[in-house]
Amino acid sequence: MSVYLRNFLRFCFIVILQVLVLNKVTLRWWLEPMGFPIFVPYVYPLFILLLPFETPVWALIILGFITGITIDGFANTAGLHACATVFIAYLRTNVLNALLPKNLSEYAHQNPNVKNMTWTPFLTYAAFLLLLHHTVFFTLELWNFSNIGYLLLKIIAATITSMIFVIIYVLLFTRQTTARV
Amino acid sequence: MIARTKTLQGNDIVSSANVVSGLLYKKQNDVVYYFGLGRMNDSLLNENARLRLQMAMLKGIDTLHDSLVHKPIGKPDSTHVVRYADYVYRTARVINNSVSAANNYITINRGSNDGISRNMSVVSGSGTVGRVVHVSPHFASILSVLSVKQQVSARLKDGTYGYVTWDGDRPDVLMMRDVAQQIKVKAGDTVYTTSYSFFPPDIVMGYVFKIETLKKNSQQLLYMHPAANFRNLQYVYVVENKMDAERKELEDSVKSK
Repeated sequence: MSVYLRNFLRFCFIVILQVLVLNKVTLRWWLEPMGFPIFVPYVYPLFILLLPFETPVWALIILGFITGITIDGFANTAGLHACATVFIAYLRTNVLNALLPKNLSEYAHQNPNVKNMTWTPFLTYAAFLLLLHHTVFFTLELWNFSNIGYLLLKIIAATITSMIFVIIYVLLFTRQTTARV
Repeated sequence: MIARTKTLQGNDIVSSANVVSGLLYKKQNDVVYYFGLGRMNDSLLNENARLRLQMAMLKGIDTLHDSLVHKPIGKPDSTHVVRYADYVYRTARVINNSVSAANNYITINRGSNDGISRNMSVVSGSGTVGRVVHVSPHFASILSVLSVKQQVSARLKDGTYGYVTWDGDRPDVLMMRDVAQQIKVKAGDTVYTTSYSFFPPDIVMGYVFKIETLKKNSQQLLYMHPAANFRNLQYVYVVENKMDAERKELEDSVKSK
């Protein structure tokens, strides 16, 4: 399967998963303490995180904008998702360079995954960029610093919950070649 | 206190009322629609019971001539136009909904082909829901009362005016501000809409459950539960006020002078 087709299918799958399933689950960690934020887990930045290593920054930014504006169209947020996604798309190459031992050009025709990055660097990479994405998005969305503890709680709770979904996604969609005999 | 707010810039181009997202939401709703039928039956039954009660009360006025005891909801006012304004109710099905964002939007399966236009108000069987902000031929998106950028004028049952806002965190708590200290309010009181806002007057907005007196301006802050349950909205009514255009025109002509 060509690399373009595979990434296009992944884009469709992740957008549909986000829009039709995850946008409908409104989560809250505890019911009782009044004022604990409710949130929706955002997993769609995973599409940007899983693009091949050699994708140039300009292509990442354009794809990030397209992903973000698609989600915006469904959620009525007029560019907030696009802004946050373009931000992490721009930072992706730098974060990968910082985390990987080898030069990025040595990983030809590969996607970032847990096999070529191992678990700890991959989770650091995903968690860091997701945290940045959620910070930008929720800050822009609320745009009100009178209740900053609430904003921070919402960012942290949403990031941790989204990471759980990312881990489930990675466990489900990593091809197991060595496990079967 | 008249709530007229701007929409987010650029939202006209990418809104959930457009063809692609509207159709996708419609298809999804066709599937999950069946899981909520029981709940919907209950809410319709409750609404029927309430309407029957109101009907009985109105009949009581005619036979007993006792308008003090059997008074319909709302204070009698002499403003003839508002009281007999021509409201048209259209039903619509909710095909997408959210409660977790700072500005929550609801998508319905009716659009300009069905006579929906911008700034119409939307109510459910139990209370206020929101205002139409975008319309396409087959869909419309509604900015719900759960929005940090929208204030709605409201009144208590003794006629005290104030406005209702949402602070952006809890979908089951609305706040009514600017109620003077000497007004006596108790938990359980009902808050209604006024004719100042885009809603028709005397629709239930919510029920007060906590009262707080602010030190800095000695005014009361009332916390209330919204009457409509935003988590499981299924059907809503879009209300068209036929007098609205004329009223806007008059008010704007006054403002421009």
